Amino acid sequence: MARTTRSKASASTAATSETKSTPSNTKSRYTLPTESTNPPKLFILPTSATKDAKIVSLLNPRYTKPTRYLVCPETGIYEFTRIAAPKATPRSWLIECGNTGKVEEKTSEDGAELGAYITKGADLYVATLIDPLFLILPAFAAQSANTKDEKRMFISSDDHLDSIREKSPHLSEILRWGNIRTLLESRMAAICDTAEAGDETMFRFNEDKLLTEVLSKAQKMSEQSLPKSMEEKFVTKALEAPVVGMKRENTTTLSISQTEAQVQSETPASTSTVSTPKPESVESQSSALSTGTAPSLVSEVSTAATSVVEESITTTTTAAELTPSLGASPEITTLQRLRTAFNFICSCYIAPSQVTRLQTKLKEQKPPPIDFTPLDNYLEEISKLRQELAAARSVGDYSRKRVLDEEELADRAEKKRRKEEEEKRKKAGESKGVRDLKKVNTVGMKKMSDFFKKK
Amino acid sequence: MLEARLEQAQILKKVVDSIKDLVQDCNFDCNDSGIALQAMDNSHVALVSMMLKAEGFSPYRCDRNIALGVNLVSLTKVLRAAQNEDILTLKAEDAPDSLNLVFESSENDRISEYDLKLMDIDQEHLGIPETEYAATISMPSAEFRRICTDLMAMSESVTIDATKDGVKFSCNGDIGNGAVTLRSHQNVDKPELNIDIELTEPVGLTFSLKYLVNFCKAQALSSTVKICLSNEVPLLVEYGLSGSSYLRFYLAPKIGDEE
Repeated sequence: MARTTRSKASASTAATSETKSTPSNTKSRYTLPTESTNPPKLFILPTSATKDAKIVSLLNPRYTKPTRYLVCPETGIYEFTRIAAPKATPRSWLIECGNTGKVEEKTSEDGAELGAYITKGADLYVATLIDPLFLILPAFAAQSANTKDEKRMFISSDDHLDSIREKSPHLSEILRWGNIRTLLESRMAAICDTAEAGDETMFRFNEDKLLTEVLSKAQKMSEQSLPKSMEEKFVTKALEAPVVGMKRENTTTLSISQTEAQVQSETPASTSTVSTPKPESVESQSSALSTGTAPSLVSEVSTAATSVVEESITTTTTAAELTPSLGASPEITTLQRLRTAFNFICSCYIAPSQVTRLQTKLKEQKPPPIDFTPLDNYLEEISKLRQELAAARSVGDYSRKRVLDEEELADRAEKKRRKEEEEKRKKAGESKGVRDLKKVNTVGMKKMSDFFKKK
Repeated sequence: MLEARLEQAQILKKVVDSIKDLVQDCNFDCNDSGIALQAMDNSHVALVSMMLKAEGFSPYRCDRNIALGVNLVSLTKVLRAAQNEDILTLKAEDAPDSLNLVFESSENDRISEYDLKLMDIDQEHLGIPETEYAATISMPSAEFRRICTDLMAMSESVTIDATKDGVKFSCNGDIGNGAVTLRSHQNVDKPELNIDIELTEPVGLTFSLKYLVNFCKAQALSSTVKICLSNEVPLLVEYGLSGSSYLRFYLAPKIGDEE
């Protein structure tokens, strides 16, 4: 249900546009009406929300400043997402408020001219359900920052919420509505240890519970596939192994996966003899990227690290027959997806200080709620590969050269210097006239050897 | 072993001066008939050919053919130390790595001696056939130089049209166009001012003025210059030296570029 609404003039924070009167000295026959001080905004509101739903200001858990939410006494709390056209392609709404459109709360200033509007921006606000859990998180921010779990006290929900009542203008108000209080308290219970004290429930913030809660949300989010742009940027890209122009006999493109297999194979591999691929079997696959540097690097540098990589690569290519384009196993992809979802939730709804605590908890908790080690190993492997590739490329020499050591570098500098000197000397032996003649336009002039034959 | 004594150092000075802006390094090929030089500019569209006959020296001795590879800028530096009227002697071993130059002042008993390091220059030699040119123009070298420098102010190339009426140097540039026409002209008192046009058939060719102006640096060598043109062959600009020695410049015509 799309509705146009006008925020009341008193809620001036929402009215973003300023009054701009049209210049009075225009000679045009048509004058534009003055810009509205309180232009209508477009919202998409949930049909489930009842008539009593109101837009209120509550504390944003991430940015700790009041933000607008739609609160329905029965169905819950909704957050707004603004959908705006990019600056490069400006759009506007043409809003007709005649028979079809229904403008609520007609005020006197809307008056008779209320017919149609053209808005400056094509913003659209979409209200979606938000877990009230996040809205009460700021109440625990102070506690989570400096006290240990044991030292926290069981206190009533009201006392918890008192700490944010000041910054959250309409919180006390909505607590009186319908079942908002029960809703908040039930969600509070999800992240707190509770204790019954008489007829009142007391709450004590429990970070582990919060972590479980967030993780389960992340899991849910990652189970359905992530939005495409997100999937591409944070999952596919992050897991992409650099293309190494390496081909061995009949193996296809390098594909690293199954980090476990790698990890296990690393130890024996480093001790075993490094079989250097023969130059004939080495074919660069993506010319621009690797142009043979990578195989040469792998084959010639005999440092332990490289040989490990090389061997592990081969083990995986042979051990796990995977499609060449996909480097990571489904398991790793799932983990990465989960991590992306977790980070996304954290970055949207949880204050930075709490996020860091959550992340350390996620790492340190024993046993870990989710084991990210395979993913970490895999990412480490990729970054190592990338570094090596970058190093190989920075050599800038596409012949089969090793990484330059200092001696070679000095040699090169010396050669360069000598070349420059020679050039200088050559310049000195060149008269100004000869230099000038080089600039002369000789188009259409044949070479002397075209006229006179060599002796 | 080479030993060549020039009565006047200025001949070599002027020769080197007039080609050093065209050529950077070149070989002086010495044999018993004299000292020859053939070199092209960097773009290979112009060629300079010099011949200093043995008769121009006194004495001249060259037992074996020797190529003296010289950087002309360096040679200019050494020759700057010689006065125009000095007696200049060139000496070199059979397989030299340096050229010995001695300048003797006849007025006072000053003798200066220089050794110039030589270099190996790999140069190709072109055979230049004797050509019957369609038009041969002799004129004062100063006149030719003036025409070239005047027209250069207007354009980068000049069209030389030789007809039975005379020879016309015309150019067309961004700021406008210009032309200088010369007719055959005999000056009994000063034969060096004669303008002589020999024509077997009319010719019209276009040349780069930058190169022509460059050739004109040899004006100091001779009061007259001979310009020879034929269709489809390079222009020849020849400065005669004493005896049958000469300094010749060849320049490829501009074809299909009528700007």
